[in-house]
Amino acid sequence: MSDFEDKHLDFVLKHYQEGRFDTQKAIKSFNEANGIVLKPRRRVLPWVSGIAAAVAVLCIFLFRDNVRQIQLMADTEVQEFVLPDGTEVTLAPGSKLTYSEKSPRMTQLEGMAYFEVARDEAVPFEITSDGVFVKVLGTKFAVDASSSVKEVYVTEGKVLFAKSPDAEGVILTKDMQAAISPEENTPVIAAEPDVNSIAWKRGSFIFDNTPLIEVLETLSEHYKVSFEASDLDKRLSGVFYTEDLDLIICLIESALDIHIVKR
Amino acid sequence: MKDINFNDLFRYNYRPLCLYALHYIQDVDLAEDIVQESYTALWEKLQDGAQVLNRKSYLYMMVRNRCLDHIRKKTIPTESLKPYDTYGIIEDDDAQERSQTEARIWTAIENLPEKCREVFIMSKRDGLKYEEIAEELGLSVNTVRNQISKALKVLKEGIHKVYMFFFA
Repeated sequence: MSDFEDKHLDFVLKHYQEGRFDTQKAIKSFNEANGIVLKPRRRVLPWVSGIAAAVAVLCIFLFRDNVRQIQLMADTEVQEFVLPDGTEVTLAPGSKLTYSEKSPRMTQLEGMAYFEVARDEAVPFEITSDGVFVKVLGTKFAVDASSSVKEVYVTEGKVLFAKSPDAEGVILTKDMQAAISPEENTPVIAAEPDVNSIAWKRGSFIFDNTPLIEVLETLSEHYKVSFEASDLDKRLSGVFYTEDLDLIICLIESALDIHIVKR
Repeated sequence: MKDINFNDLFRYNYRPLCLYALHYIQDVDLAEDIVQESYTALWEKLQDGAQVLNRKSYLYMMVRNRCLDHIRKKTIPTESLKPYDTYGIIEDDDAQERSQTEARIWTAIENLPEKCREVFIMSKRDGLKYEEIAEELGLSVNTVRNQISKALKVLKEGIHKVYMFFFA
């Protein structure tokens, strides 16, 4: 059975108009109408910076029922780990991943992580977090459980995303994103996935004719700073490395001939 | 104001809500206005400190009520009220799911290569014959046929069956 029913396509086609139902435009006019100013958004990861020689404890061992539990963590910087099964995990600052020595493919996540799961048809890889259950065979994806709205973004393969192991879930494939809020039982697939939700892992922001207001929102969320710009109506395309915010600002200013102030 | 993130509420629901409204009113401009009004009404309600348990369902409800108000205003009282679609027959959850599917189809069409989209829209929306499209765009009929089957293939692959159990 396919859910791609012709009646859906026919309905959409009947009304389709180029450039309409533009979510970013709608957000912009909503913000303007309601006097909402751009400010840093929700994610409250303890993104500490400027601590010289921070001592990062990256791996600790705990015992539960005589089975050794391994806990991996990223302190102030993005950290990469390889699990016993060959799976590669990248943890965002302030995030933790725990698994038991007995079943290293059943993990618990706090915070935000990117996974490149080693393929094993016999043993699915599972991630649980508060209100999140993710199950895969072998694939690449990011899980963001750092705020009350949990998100999954898939870059390769196939991922099952649900609220809990026995709840109904959604299947995500390449470049699909879904989110679940506490009030919902099934994740909702984003009509327009945000490629920059994994900028922290990829090390770059990708903008493609993106309205400046959205560009600044992305940067604002990533670096936890606010911006003011002399002209918000312009659009930006390009790839920018995440390392140097001041350089990004500089490049945008000269590309669009505008002035941006950090707050 | 904790936990109110309108950016996410927009990003996940704006386009589906517009398509939901279209089922009642068949007018793209009006659909956008009604959805925008509904977001603003929700925003004001939350600003006043009201509790809204399920913001998404609340938005769908507001959009539907506004659409029906609009239809009532335009309908001569003696005429019976007949929304275009299956109001009253389709369940709320199904209507939401349908709107999300249609929003993804809309996005998938938007993401087709430009030429491919143009040909596809001329054929499927505007009902032009392959020969007419070929003549208007200066392409061969074969190219037109290929572009349309390519578009259909991309769209069908892009919109997956999503509500199912894994490994089942």
